[in-house]
Amino acid sequence: MARQIYQAIVDGILVGGVYALMAVGLTLIFGVLDIINIAQGVLVILGAYLSYELSVRIHLDLFLGLLVTVTAMFVIGVVIQWAFIRRLRGRERTSMTLLVTYAVALIIEGVLYEIYGPNPKQLNASYVQSSVHVLGFYLSYIYLYGFVLALALVVAIYALLYRTRFGRSVRATMQDETAARLIGIDVNRVAAVTFGVGVAVTAAGGMMFGATNAFNPNSGYDLISRLLAIIILGGLGSIGGALVASVFMLTLESLVTIWSPEWAIVVFYAALVVVLVIRPAGFFGRQPVRAQ
Amino acid sequence: MTTPAGQGRAPEGGAGTQPRSVLRITDLVAGYGGGDVLREVSLQVPEGGITCVVGPNGAGKSTLLAAVSGLLRPRLGSIELDGQDLAGLSPRQVLRLGVVQVPQNHSLFRDMTVRENIELGGYILADRALTARRAAAVFDLFPDIAGWAGKKAGSLSGGQQRLVEFARALMLEPRLLLLDEPSMGLAPKILRTVFDAVRQMNATGTTILLVEQNARAGLRLSSHGVVMESGRVRLSGTGREVLENPEIGALYLGGAVSAG
Repeated sequence: MARQIYQAIVDGILVGGVYALMAVGLTLIFGVLDIINIAQGVLVILGAYLSYELSVRIHLDLFLGLLVTVTAMFVIGVVIQWAFIRRLRGRERTSMTLLVTYAVALIIEGVLYEIYGPNPKQLNASYVQSSVHVLGFYLSYIYLYGFVLALALVVAIYALLYRTRFGRSVRATMQDETAARLIGIDVNRVAAVTFGVGVAVTAAGGMMFGATNAFNPNSGYDLISRLLAIIILGGLGSIGGALVASVFMLTLESLVTIWSPEWAIVVFYAALVVVLVIRPAGFFGRQPVRAQ
Repeated sequence: MTTPAGQGRAPEGGAGTQPRSVLRITDLVAGYGGGDVLREVSLQVPEGGITCVVGPNGAGKSTLLAAVSGLLRPRLGSIELDGQDLAGLSPRQVLRLGVVQVPQNHSLFRDMTVRENIELGGYILADRALTARRAAAVFDLFPDIAGWAGKKAGSLSGGQQRLVEFARALMLEPRLLLLDEPSMGLAPKILRTVFDAVRQMNATGTTILLVEQNARAGLRLSSHGVVMESGRVRLSGTGREVLENPEIGALYLGGAVSAG
């Protein structure tokens, strides 16, 4: 029994890494643009299909393929922001962006459905099936690699935000948009690039999700509700919070699954409610949204 | 088009020979979605002085500054800085021409240190060495601020934040500094420190356009005064002239405001 619990904790932490890859972009976009990108779930699935294409058609390794898919998703993100979100201003902006990003989700889902149909796909590679036995735990290679990738990407985003001139302009825009404009920051460019980065990260999340789950064009909906729960729990706009909340939620779910897989999903959202009652701003959220 | 600055005649309501104008606003009409707030505003900001715009709430004082700094695109009229029209330029382009605005609400980046905030004042310089030189000069001018350099901006008091905002604005060595109600929300005691800092920045050669709710204190500080009412200029002249105008005194300055 104890061994089962330990294994569940290890699994939860590793799967949490996969969710962090998907949630980090969502919270980054919220932190800077102050919008919830409902399309993030289906963008994860789009990322998975892009990886699928590269892997099936030109037999490119899943991780190497990320060089292509991350770049492609960055461009897609910038285009979505430029075409749909940039125009929304004024008091209705928050509710309008929810509708617009939902529309974007429907469009992408429709296109994917048209191309691939409803049958589920899964990404494959030698390391997807195999696992290593360490200290009595079975660690699947794909989750190990994915967890390392998640940590690397979180560190990279931190470096971008805290070590570069562009990062300073992003943090300034996050904290006070008018003041940022008044010191000469092009806040439209900051918004476009941030949205691009937030979507680019989901390419990695999509690959990991697609390698560890069967997916079809509808899979984005279950994902977005989970991702929203995670970023709220972590503290909206907090990148470190998204990582911690992913690991926390998935570990909890993995533990409850030992007893009851049905209850695991309920516990996922129940945990959100309980934490928010105790800490209304989530783990790392403070009154104003900040990048921590 | 109006004649280029420097060759113009004295403005209406002006007294005696005027120094060259840094900023010349002509028939400016601007507003937000709901209609025009500024209705044909014309005024000049003489070089080297402090020009204070006073007037009741809703007169359009802050809207005027927003139009100059590029936050708001004017509908009609011209805003000339040394003869170059600013109307319709982005805030970034206006900054490049040397006009820096300190907004009314506290505008420091609260989670960043005072030093980071000041360095960000030189964001468009994109030159580390120049930024460092300017920051050193700013710390020389306001030695107190150097002592707070490592603190988070959000942890400073209201008055201290104002001074850091001034310091940040000086990073670009502005040709024209726009200050929107710097006394807003400050205790009377701190007010003096803030106004002293305004005077000090002016003494180092910065031309200042100041909007002030605290009309008496603002005008006393200023070489020139402009009274605005419902989107129009009601009166302009030297600071003293405006202060001593009996009609204006009764209307806007309020007898109750104590001599500070």
